[in-house]
Amino acid sequence: MSNASSQVSSTHAAVTSRGLPGRSVLAGLLIGVGVAGFIDETVFHQLLHWHHSYDKSTPTAGLVSDGFFHAGSWIALVVGWFLIADMHRRRATVPRRVLAGGLLGWGAFQVYDGLFQHKVLDLHEIRYGVNLAPYDLIWNISGAIGILAGIALLFGSARPISLRPGVDVPETAGQHGQTASR
Amino acid sequence: MHEHTGTGGASGWVLALLPLSIAALLYVLARRRLVSRGGAWPAARTWAALGGMLCLAVALTPPLADRTGYFPAHVAQHLLTVMLAPLLLALSAPVTLALRSLPVVPGPTGAPRRLLLEFLHSPLLRVLTTPLVVAVLEVGSLYGLYLTPLFGALHDHAWLHVLVHTHMFLSGCLLSWLLVSPDPMPHRPSVTVRVVLLIVVAGGHNILAKLMYARALPAGAGPVEEVQLGAQWMYYGGDLIDVLLAVALLAGWYRRSGRALRHERRRAASLDRTAPGTIAPS
Repeated sequence: MSNASSQVSSTHAAVTSRGLPGRSVLAGLLIGVGVAGFIDETVFHQLLHWHHSYDKSTPTAGLVSDGFFHAGSWIALVVGWFLIADMHRRRATVPRRVLAGGLLGWGAFQVYDGLFQHKVLDLHEIRYGVNLAPYDLIWNISGAIGILAGIALLFGSARPISLRPGVDVPETAGQHGQTASR
Repeated sequence: MHEHTGTGGASGWVLALLPLSIAALLYVLARRRLVSRGGAWPAARTWAALGGMLCLAVALTPPLADRTGYFPAHVAQHLLTVMLAPLLLALSAPVTLALRSLPVVPGPTGAPRRLLLEFLHSPLLRVLTTPLVVAVLEVGSLYGLYLTPLFGALHDHAWLHVLVHTHMFLSGCLLSWLLVSPDPMPHRPSVTVRVVLLIVVAGGHNILAKLMYARALPAGAGPVEEVQLGAQWMYYGGDLIDVLLAVALLAGWYRRSGRALRHERRRAASLDRTAPGTIAPS
C-alpha cells in the first residue's frame, strides 16, 4: 500500500511539474489546422469569393482532397478545444507547446493548401484575374514562417499552467494525466 | 390533399404518425416507471427523445410531406430524418431506459428484456457496428440514391420509396448510435476511431453535396436551380449536423474522463491520508 501511495505521489509530482506537453502540442496542432481551414473556408471562399472551391472544371482528386480537409478541419477544431478543456481541469496545459502546435498546424495547412491543393491538384487559385506571384509568395511564406516559429517553440523550457505564479493548485489537482487517453 | 404524390397523401402521413406517437408514449411511460421506483433519468434525455420524434413528425407531415416534388423540401426531409432525428434519438438512450425499466423476471414477462440483451450481443449487431460497415452503409447508400437513376425510380414505386427511406433512417441511426449514444454497445470502437469515422463520413457528405451541385444530380429532381438550392442546403445542413455529432461525441468523452478523474483524485487523496507513518496492510 505504501508503495502504491508513493507511486501515486511521484506521478502526481511528475505531471504537475511537466504538465502534458505532448498533448498540448496535439491540441495546438488540431486548433491551428482547424482555424486555418475555417479562415480559408469562410473568409476566402464565402466572404471575399476569391477562391472558387468548386467549378465545373475542378478535377475529382481536388474535390475529394478539399472535401475531407473541410470536414476534418471543423472536427479538428472541436477535438482540439475539448483536449484543452480536459488539460485545463488537470492544470496540465503547457501554453508554450499549445502555441507551438498551433503555429505548426496553421503553417502546415497554409503550405499544403498553397502548394499541393492550389498547384499540384490545380484545385483553385488564391485569386483570379490578377498577377498571382505576390499572393502565392505571401500565402506560402506566411505558412513557412508559421512552421518555423512553431518548431522553435517546441524547444526550450516550458511550464504547465499549474506552475505559473499566482495560480493556486488544489491539493490533488493535476495528477494522472493519462487516465483520459483511450 | 388526397391526390398528392409522395408518401401517399393524407392517409400516408397519418399512418406515419401512429408508430411515432406510440414510441414517444412508450418512452415517457418507461421513464415514469423508472422514476416511480426511485431511479434517476436525466431530463435532457427525455427532451432529446421528444425532439427526435418531433423532427420525424415534421418531416413526415405537411407542408414538407406534400412538397416532395420540390427538391429543397426533399433535402429538408432528408436532413431531418436521416441526420438530426437519429442524433437526438441516440442521445436519448432508449436502450438504457428499456433495460432499466423492463421487468427482470423469468418467464414470458421477462422475455422482452432478454430479447433486447440477446440482440445487443448478437453477431449481426457486431458486424453492423464495424466502422467500415457503418461508413459504407452511410456514405454508400447516399451516393447510390443521389448519383444514380434510383432517385427517379422512387417516384414510380411507393414501396421502393418506403424501403429506401427506412434503410437511410436506419443507417443514420447506426452511425449516430455508434458515435454518440450513451447506450451500451459491445465492441464499440475507441474515441479516436470514432473521430476518424466521423471525418470520413462528413467528408463523404461534403463531396456528395458538391457533386450534386456541379452535375445537377439527382437526375429528374426538377429544374437545375431547385436541385442546386437543395444541394446547398445539403452542404450547409450536413456540415452543421456533422459538427453537432463531433460536439456530442467529444462531450461524452469529456464527461466520462471527468468521472474517471474524480474517482482517481478521491483514491489518491485517501491514499495520501493513510500513507505517512502508517503501515497499511497490503
